[in-house]
This record gives sequence, C-alpha cells and structure tokens, in this order.
Amino acid sequence: METIEQGVLGHLMALERGGMGQQDQQESQRLEMLKIRAMSLRAKRDQLKHQTDAVKILKDKISKDLPLADGDAAGGFTELKKSLLTAWRMQLKDLQRAHHLIGGYDLVECKEGKSVCVSFHTAFEGVYLETYNMELDLTRTVQISRHNIPPSFPLESFAKQNLQKDLKTFLQTLNQNLNALAARRQQVCLLKELVGSVEVMESNQLCNILVLMCTAQGETPKAVLCTLEYGDLTQCLPTRVSIECEDKTLSESPQWKKNQSLLLESPAHAALLTMRRMGSIA
Amino acid sequence: MEQKYEEEIQMLEQEIEMLEAEQEETLRSIFIEHGDRLQQELKSVCEERGGAQKHALSKLITEVRELEKDLRRQTEINGIALNECFVKTLHKSERKLVQQLRLAGHCSVLLFQVEFAVTEIQEDDALLRRVTELNIVVDGVEFKDFSAFVSRFPIWRKSRLHNRLHNIKVVEDTKDLLLFFRTLRTFSERCEERRQTFQHFQEKYPDVVSLPEGCRSELMIIRSPQLPGISMTIFWKIDVSMEGVIKPRLELLLKIPDQAREFDTKKVTENGSEYFQSLLRILGVEASIEGLIRTVCL
Repeated sequence: METIEQGVLGHLMALERGGMGQQDQQESQRLEMLKIRAMSLRAKRDQLKHQTDAVKILKDKISKDLPLADGDAAGGFTELKKSLLTAWRMQLKDLQRAHHLIGGYDLVECKEGKSVCVSFHTAFEGVYLETYNMELDLTRTVQISRHNIPPSFPLESFAKQNLQKDLKTFLQTLNQNLNALAARRQQVCLLKELVGSVEVMESNQLCNILVLMCTAQGETPKAVLCTLEYGDLTQCLPTRVSIECEDKTLSESPQWKKNQSLLLESPAHAALLTMRRMGSIA
Repeated sequence: MEQKYEEEIQMLEQEIEMLEAEQEETLRSIFIEHGDRLQQELKSVCEERGGAQKHALSKLITEVRELEKDLRRQTEINGIALNECFVKTLHKSERKLVQQLRLAGHCSVLLFQVEFAVTEIQEDDALLRRVTELNIVVDGVEFKDFSAFVSRFPIWRKSRLHNRLHNIKVVEDTKDLLLFFRTLRTFSERCEERRQTFQHFQEKYPDVVSLPEGCRSELMIIRSPQLPGISMTIFWKIDVSMEGVIKPRLELLLKIPDQAREFDTKKVTENGSEYFQSLLRILGVEASIEGLIRTVCL
C-alpha cells in the first residue's frame, strides 16, 4: 500500500514540480545556492573563531612567560609555531609597507641579481602622485635598461654625473628632481581646479615656467600677467616672479608687491587662493 | 525565506571580517610586545633542518627568510632603518583602507619617530593615497639646525626619548611625509661629512685643533699653544629651510688679544671672515680649513 502511496505521492509531486513555472525553479535554485553559501560561511566563521581563540591563548601564554612547547601534542606545537611565524611574517610585511609609504625605492632584484628595479614615488602636500620605475642593468657597468620617466626630464645628464660612481646619490638626485617636478605639475592642476578664474597661458613639460593671466579686481577689472620662473628644478617654488600689467600703477602697487612675494613663497595654487580671498583677483 | 538567508549571509560576512581583523590585531600585538624574544626562538626553528614537522612550516619559514632579506635590502638602499613599526587598521573595505602607522628608527645617527595616518581609495584602475595626519619627533645633537624645517610638521606628544629631545612647535601642517624623509637623508649625509672632516683634522693636528662640543657639533677651534690668545673658531652650520633645502654654511670667527690688534695693520681680524668665504669658494672646505690650520702651525 505504502509503495503505491509513495508511488502516487511521488508522481503527484513530480507533476507538481513539472507544473511549477520556470521562475519557481529558478527561485528554488537560488534558495539552494544561498543555503549552501550560508553553510560555507558558517563553517569559515567557526574555523576563524577557533583560530582567533587559539591565537589569544597563545598570546596569553607568551605574556605569562609560559613555555611555548608544554607537552602539547606534536600537532599543537606546530600550530603554535605556525601562528608565531605568521605573526612575524605580518610584522615583516608591515615593515615593507612602511618603507614603501615613506617613499623608499622598493628595490627588487631581477634576473638573479643581474639587474635591479627601483621605483620613485612622488607626493605633494600629502597626496601621493605618480610612481616612476627604472630597471638598472648591473652586468658590467651600471646601465639604465628601462624606465618610464618622461622624455623631457634630463635623465641622461644625471646618469652621466653619478650613475657609475655613486648609485645612492644618483637615486637621491632623481628622487628629489622627480618629486619637485610632480609638485610643480600638481600645482598647475590644483590651480586650474581651484582657481578657475585664472588662465594658464603657458606651461611646459618640465614645469619650469608658468605664465598665468589673472583679473585684478578694481573699478575696472584689469588683466595681470604673472610669470613664474622655476630656476631651481629641485624645488617646487619659483625663483623669480614678474608681474606685468598695462596699468603700471597697479603692478607697482604695494598690494601687488605683496602678491609677488606670495607667489615666491608659497605654492602657486595656495598663493592664488589667498589673493582671491583678499579680493585682489577675481 | 530567501531574505532570512541573505540576512544571515550578510551577518556572517561581517563577523568573518571582524574575526580576521581581530586575529590580525592579536598577532600584531604579540609581535609588538614580544617580538625580540620570539625572533630569537623562531630563529632556531628556522635554522633547524629536516624533520617531518618542518614540511608544514617550511613554506612559512622560507617566506620569513625572504622577507628578512628583502628588508635588509630596503634598509640599505633607503638609508633609513626602522626599529619599530606599529600598524593599526582603522577601516578596511573593498575600496577603502585607512591605517595609522607609528614608526621609529634612525637615519645614520639621527633618531626619529613618525606617526601618520594614510587613506587609500581604489577608484577604477587608479589607487588614490593620501596622508591625513602627520606628527614628527626628532632627536640628536644635530637637530638644532633642523627645527625650522620640522616646525612645518605638527608636534607629537612628549616621547619617551631622552632629555636631549627637541620638541617641535606647530607652525604649519603640510603632511609631506616623503619630503621629511628625503630631507632627513640629505641632512644626515651633510652631518656625516662634517663629522668626518672635523674628526680628520682633530686626529691630524691634535695639538692645534679642538672640538669642545664633540665631533658631532658645529664648532671647531684652532689654537696654537705657541700663540696664546689667538684663536680661530669655525662654525659649520647646516641650514635646512622650510622647503627642505639644505645648505651647509661655514663661518670663521677670529680672536686676537687687544695688544696684538695694534699690529693688525692689514685689518685681518675685521676682514678675516670674508677672506675665509673667498677661500672656501676657491679651494673648498677641506683645503680651506687645512690652510687655516697651517697658518698657526709654526
């Protein structure tokens, strides 16, 4: 009787299932998947909880100066050493990251020591900017084999000066100059972004000259041309600033003498923002 | 029904994240508190060879060895040794990471402690990273010259470094972490050059050259026992501007007794410092100092 009932019930259920539309099938599939995911996450969570507790016990043992291998099963001891080595590895990776974050060269040996790769990280006012990379071939003399430093940058002349005799000085010089370049370039970006009223008339790849057109506030707004010359390429501030205006009284005025100093002493975007805040320019 | 599972899944994912973070923190704190001791114990583990047990750990051991080697490489090329590194992850998600780091170390003989916060945001294919807080403490006899530069970074709390600490007042906050380390390295090199030069001359002319404040200071006095009352003091300052520009600056102070002044018809005492500047321009530092010393070596 049961068999027949099972048979009949089974048949009815099959019919029912067949009667369920496509959508229902998909729904039940999805439900299955969710159920499986929940199960595996639960297992992972439990395993993690177990590990985390074990690590806490380990820490406690270490703090209390208990012997780390106290007759645990051999497996337990391995677990312990594993945790400690994991902790050590984490500390080492943290140190690596720290070197990276403070602007280190991230030196990597390639081709079994025949060449090295270095990175030059640039930043300005806390914002990390471009990273430039270079591969140095060390087989006979030190040679630059590959790099992604912009062509306008006088790489060859720096290489001629220092590359053979003092690698560290070469790297430092490059680092300093690349950072200054990134800083000058970033200032141009920032001033375009923050001080829309000022027009960049001239700029170049090396960012060693910047010509800006500002509108001086007054009864009649007047155009003022500010030329910033960056004579020292290791610096991100100009070495010379000249102010030109059709109205000579304006360019000679104390207010604009002050603006000239501002442009010499602070980054371009900051100086212009101050000038705008003081009502000097639009 | 579905919703119940979805909620549970979300909760489990969060729990897992929390547990992973907790485990990381605990492991880090083990190393922070007991690092040295553990490294000793683990060194023996790493050096042991053979044993079936080792198989399970051999991958980890190799990794640790490689990392140690790499760290030595970075320390050497960067010229910066990090003795302490505390990392605290304040926020970690798929696209955003916020961490606080506290580093202590030295660049040659100059000690530093740096605390900063860094935020990383993954945007499409670009990683945006910025320093959001920065505090610096420096220590060392040489840092007298450094304070104007470091004053652009905010002060940290009084650290546990010893009394010679130079606390730095807040002036500006530019968060230029990389500039600090670049400048520190160059400054350290100039200090080392000075120290070596001073030491060299003291060893070569011990009767005439004295370094009253040690070889790490900025003072060197040249005095001949046969010419009492006459002294030449060289001040070798290393200026660091706010923008991190480093300029060594040497000055000469001449002292002769009043009675001798009458004989100073060529006004050497008045013009001596200027003459020294010219000498520096022509001969450079070492030759100029050598020249001065020779004048009193009768």
